Amino acid sequence: MKTDLKTNLALFTIFFKAGTFTFAGGLSMLPVIQKDVVDKYKMMPEEEFLEYATLSQTLPGVIGLNCASFVGRYVGGTIGMLFAGLGATISAFVLMILATILLQFIPQDGPIAGAFHGIRAASSAFILSAAYTLGKYNIKSFFGVILMLAAFVLVMFTNISAPIVVLGAGLAGYIYQRIMTKRNEKEKN
Amino acid sequence: MLLYLKLLIVFFRIGALGFGGGYAMMSMIIDESARFSITPDQFASLTALDMVVPGPIAINSATFVGYIAGGFWGALFATIGVSLPSLIMIILVMRFIERYRDNKIMNSFMDGVKPAAVGLIAAAAVTIASGVLLLPDSNLSSLFIDPLGTISIVGGAIFIIAAFVNIRFKVNPIILTLIAGVIGAFLLA
Repeated sequence: MKTDLKTNLALFTIFFKAGTFTFAGGLSMLPVIQKDVVDKYKMMPEEEFLEYATLSQTLPGVIGLNCASFVGRYVGGTIGMLFAGLGATISAFVLMILATILLQFIPQDGPIAGAFHGIRAASSAFILSAAYTLGKYNIKSFFGVILMLAAFVLVMFTNISAPIVVLGAGLAGYIYQRIMTKRNEKEKN
Repeated sequence: MLLYLKLLIVFFRIGALGFGGGYAMMSMIIDESARFSITPDQFASLTALDMVVPGPIAINSATFVGYIAGGFWGALFATIGVSLPSLIMIILVMRFIERYRDNKIMNSFMDGVKPAAVGLIAAAAVTIASGVLLLPDSNLSSLFIDPLGTISIVGGAIFIIAAFVNIRFKVNPIILTLIAGVIGAFLLA
């Protein structure tokens, strides 16, 4: 495994660029990263990258950082992983601290406050459309619809916390699959 | 010191159970942020900053909540907390990838988690949107009695149009964010 400084710096640069010039989250970073890692630097074959990109979205955690860790570790071991991970997160961290400080100086009314209010309204709409897009690809059965509605209702109207809902849903998926397998076996016999 | 440790642990848990990336973590962050006395209004600002500040949304959110709760060090500990699960998980997955690829238990677990993640994202969208769109001194239940007196009309229009245009025509969110900001500067000032 080549863990020379040049490779590590290249890893840092690729992910720093992807993390600095893409907005709206880690999902939108993936195409930019693919272009650099696969086409420009030829660090790994496209097939491998796509498998890791898919895993980055299915595994829990920060999607952009998941992808950085996969590529970084594949290319440059644990050190490479740290360089890539730092690249993917450092601008989000620094710029967000600056933004949070500046936020306190936005006046209560006037055009800047108005603009910010407009952006807030649009941003919450993007979260809704993220739910729509994700749902279109991931909900393919009646069971899925029930789980989605149940998760929504539990989080909105009860005190049950989101992590419990996630774990419960995973458990329900497992039990559902066991029941379906048993039923299929019975039908065969 | 106790506060930093708490931020680290809480955001570690959010990262470890955040299936579906930053948007899916939103409901968990809303839940947990109450412990760090983040107001719903501050939360609405966070979603706006997520769109304006580049990088992974989970990193943006952890930095924001951490900074408000405990300044620079709070931001750092929250960000490390939300990042660690990604690093640990990817090391494990790459070691066992052959076994992970066709693991039936893991797949059935994910079949349950994915639809639930959609429900969580939708719940986050509704919670955040109601913080942005409801006029002061009103709540969701008065929406049915006196809709015009409850909801900010310009904000509501931006919300609906942004969601529709983003889903139907796949317009780049950055452009929509800019337009929403300009409209807000004129009509919401």
